Amino acid sequence: MSTTFGNFIRLRREKLRQKDAGYSVRQVAGRVGVQPSYLSKVERGDEPPPSEKTVVALAKELGEDADVLLALAGKVSTDLAEIIRRRPQLFGQLIRELKDMPNHAVLRLVREVRDGEW
Amino acid sequence: MIELKMDRLEFSFMEVHPQARFSIEFQRTLRIPDDGTDYPLPPGLGRFPLKHVDDFAETLSSAWRSHGGVMLPMYRSEAMWLNFNSSYISERETEYPFAVKVATGKICAVSGESWSNGLSSRPQNYLVVPRQPWLDGYCVEKGIIRQFVAMPLAAGYTAEEQLTGAADVGGLQIVAYPMRREVFERRFPEVRQRFHMAKARSAMRSWDAVAGDMGLAPGGRMRQEIYTDPFDIRDWDQSASSRCFVHIANSLVWQSITGSAPPSPPPTSKQYAKAGLPWFEYYGETHAVDGAKKLGGLKSVATLGKQMGDVPLPENESVNPAHIVKLRPKLKPNQVREEVF
Repeated sequence: MSTTFGNFIRLRREKLRQKDAGYSVRQVAGRVGVQPSYLSKVERGDEPPPSEKTVVALAKELGEDADVLLALAGKVSTDLAEIIRRRPQLFGQLIRELKDMPNHAVLRLVREVRDGEW
Repeated sequence: MIELKMDRLEFSFMEVHPQARFSIEFQRTLRIPDDGTDYPLPPGLGRFPLKHVDDFAETLSSAWRSHGGVMLPMYRSEAMWLNFNSSYISERETEYPFAVKVATGKICAVSGESWSNGLSSRPQNYLVVPRQPWLDGYCVEKGIIRQFVAMPLAAGYTAEEQLTGAADVGGLQIVAYPMRREVFERRFPEVRQRFHMAKARSAMRSWDAVAGDMGLAPGGRMRQEIYTDPFDIRDWDQSASSRCFVHIANSLVWQSITGSAPPSPPPTSKQYAKAGLPWFEYYGETHAVDGAKKLGGLKSVATLGKQMGDVPLPENESVNPAHIVKLRPKLKPNQVREEVF
């Protein structure tokens, strides 16, 4: 898992670096607020993926989707976790039901106006 | 099924027919003077914002939660009309027809009867969409309605309180029934290959490009016909209905419920007429229902206010709408428009 995440970050960063020297390990680390040696170890898979805050900062820095990077890092964003914690049964059931649905079907999910007792 | 999209209620009956869809929006408008004069149609000043009540469950009363549905904010200085929209089905050269019941505080706005399930033809207690393009108020006489205006519930003004003596329900209740599929296909056979869905040109009524519990009360008089059903009552599929409760919140408490500001208050009739902005007359060519006796007996907000020694309307001066735009029913895509000559 951590190798996948590290690899992904490194490939993405190096691609950006080809066009812009500002994407060196040192400079990216500086902008997301970690030590260059630490980022280097993360990229090699010698360290597990960093905290959620750093992953989100990395996503922003590298122009990637934060949820995708968090998933690669084996994490779920705090706000999503909170949504599920608030209505665990409902969302647990919903997500399990959506598990095998194709993307277009998930995107078409509709919300009905609820009718009650008059 | 009813969905809320872009401040519109979108009704669809896929189980009946894939093209059985239409939408309702709630248009903001000015309060016409409540002075006994019959006024032309006022403009549409934009849609009322609509929200699911479930999204604000923790701040709403248990009654609102149990009714379900949606809610909108309304000022006492404004009025409402319902705008019905349907898609033109080009291969059948028609829109899908619906029977729509509209009630305020569970009093039918067409027949004045208390809420009941199902459709009745004598007296007719529903509208036929798309024949009826919009509804502005209570059908008090043939060709005359009294405008839907918002009043606080329990102050005695709403149609519900005047007819039942109780202020239990408030809001608006809407139910739609689609035409039976086999009747639709028989009455409107395919006349050409399915090509594409063209949107019918609808008669526009806009001039620029186009919790406190509130209830609706009868305001000023307006010229508007409620059209009779040109079909047979058995043509409607009463086993396939969709209904929605529309709650009305005082605009002043809307912000505390939803955290978003309500639209700014509308102009008064006087300001609007003085600016020379247009009013509207609609010329449908079909028959209109008679007014409901019960609704005809309702006292308007101004009349009732005078009797109770109250001033329910901050401003109610008569106006003279000088600029009146005449509207005709929607044209089919290739139909040539005919004018009065």
